[in-house]
Amino acid sequence: MKPSRFLLAAGLLLGTAAALSAKEELNLFAWSEYVPQKVLDGFKQETGIEVNYETYASNEELLSKLLAGGAAYDLVQPSDYAAEVMIKQGLLAPLDPALLPNRKNLGAQFRHLPHDPDDRYTVPYMTGTVGIVVNTDVVKDPIRGFRDVFQPKFKDRIVVLNDNREIVTWALYTRGISANAISKENLEQIRPVVADWIKLIKVFDSDSPKTALLNGDVDLGVVWSGEAAILWRENRKFKYVLAEEGAHQFIDVLAIPVAAKHKEAAHKFINYILRPEVSKLISDEFPYTNPNVEARKLLSPEQLANPASYPSEGKLETFHDIGKLAADIDRLMTDLKSGR
Amino acid sequence: MSPTTLKTRPPALVAAPPEENRRRPRLLAWLLLAPMLLWLAAFVVIPTAILAVYSFCERDEVGRVVYRFTLENYRRVFEPVYLHIFWRSIVYAALTTAICVVVGYPVAYFIARAREAWRHKLLLLVMIPFWTSFLIRTYAWITILKQEGLLNGLLQSLPLGIGPLDLLYTPTAVVIGLVYAYLPFMILPIYGSAEKLENAVIEAAYDLGAGPVRAFSSVIVPLTMPGIAAGTLLVFVPAIGMFAITDLMGGAKVPMIGNVIQNQFLQARDWPFGAALGVVFMLMFAVTYWIVQRRGAQMG
Repeated sequence: MKPSRFLLAAGLLLGTAAALSAKEELNLFAWSEYVPQKVLDGFKQETGIEVNYETYASNEELLSKLLAGGAAYDLVQPSDYAAEVMIKQGLLAPLDPALLPNRKNLGAQFRHLPHDPDDRYTVPYMTGTVGIVVNTDVVKDPIRGFRDVFQPKFKDRIVVLNDNREIVTWALYTRGISANAISKENLEQIRPVVADWIKLIKVFDSDSPKTALLNGDVDLGVVWSGEAAILWRENRKFKYVLAEEGAHQFIDVLAIPVAAKHKEAAHKFINYILRPEVSKLISDEFPYTNPNVEARKLLSPEQLANPASYPSEGKLETFHDIGKLAADIDRLMTDLKSGR
Repeated sequence: MSPTTLKTRPPALVAAPPEENRRRPRLLAWLLLAPMLLWLAAFVVIPTAILAVYSFCERDEVGRVVYRFTLENYRRVFEPVYLHIFWRSIVYAALTTAICVVVGYPVAYFIARAREAWRHKLLLLVMIPFWTSFLIRTYAWITILKQEGLLNGLLQSLPLGIGPLDLLYTPTAVVIGLVYAYLPFMILPIYGSAEKLENAVIEAAYDLGAGPVRAFSSVIVPLTMPGIAAGTLLVFVPAIGMFAITDLMGGAKVPMIGNVIQNQFLQARDWPFGAALGVVFMLMFAVTYWIVQRRGAQMG
């Protein structure tokens, strides 16, 4: 390309960028398969603010990109423990309660959560659990926990989340250890457990673990409750079970990074999402547990009866940040996946 | 082109340009090169330098890079697990390259030897898949290979007695995906050198008493070697680092070096270690390139 043409092209690009930035926009960085297009369209129609929705598949990915100086994001959607790290590191801006009147719609058990006791930085979006899905047409044995899933007879019939911390946590549960008691010793202790499991697993998939189950490539899965709820909605043969050895819940929240350029738009979006009729749209498409009690009143009895969305269990533990041990978990899993 | 005309070399530039003219083309050449140099600096040199610096750093509690010198990352790269993964990635890439040569060579040769009018149509067929996104094509393969997929449906409807094959999420699926993705990169360079091959040379081989096998192995293959070498580089190098296919079609079960590096930057938040893996990986490429180049030079 000739230099003159190069300059011309660069000039055109700059011009376009300037024109674009004049329009109001909101840069949302959130989980994949989690924010319905309908909600983004509705928000744009009402406020004229364009939402740019970028996705990630794990909290670690979000942290990684944010720490690298992802100043472009106005709104992020970490889970509880990732929000905890971000608050500790001063990465989140305090919210303005005056701009969030709809926060009153949230259930009392979703206020003042351990990661943000004063509700200063975060607002719950959706919550869920991680549990076992059984294709009861194929698997006739009773499945109550991880020990029932990871049996040699189910070799190559299992899908699990491609999330190292999750897998390690399930193994800890089978040894009666809590999800947050991660230490080098405990990791050594569960090493043989995970090693055995990995030989039995057919697919690791965090984005859409339901696909392998729907396609008939596997009959058992350890997946996000929302994925399990969609499966149950498709076909009642997919049963959801919270493992008897232990289960944890996750609370995904909305938060505004300190470096956000459109903080007001971000507040508007949070408040919009907290409206019962908007929150219901999220439940319709991604049937996780909705913390918005006013929205729950709008759900059909069938939606509320979905055992994966609204399990009968009481309060479950949540993850806490484990700092550098995340790298040890990764090393352990890489070792074991390589068959060592 | 008639088969009897042999290509003549362009006459060598004998006269050196006059003294006063030497300067101007140089300046102009630099000007013309400037965008390319800028591009190289911005997207190759600087990122590589950052990677090299990170690879000697430490990480803090959350995963930020701390600028404190350490060799720990390189020590870790040479732990048996990672060497094993490097080795496995090389084996998969080598297998992919070998299959691509075996499958791609006849295709490329046939296209190059086809009539002019056909050549362009056939080449277009090779390139049509590029009109669709790579990820979409990979998802299409999932639809074909899955247990209740197209291939198994076809097999079971035929009276062959072949049960449903267990293909998706196996190493076979990974190799199928890799060969599919990179085959055109083998076909095109081989086509390039096969097209330049003179019939006269092949005829001369026959006249001198060579059989078809001999003519192929001592005349055709050496003359198309530059194409094979270029294709090998274009397939082997990216195939080692591929992580999307191993994730999607292999079920993320057996990590390749590309997956491990990706994990360091996202899941494990250990950028310095990821950078060290990347640097070693790049050195490996350089060595591969050097070997292939030397082979090519020797053959020539």
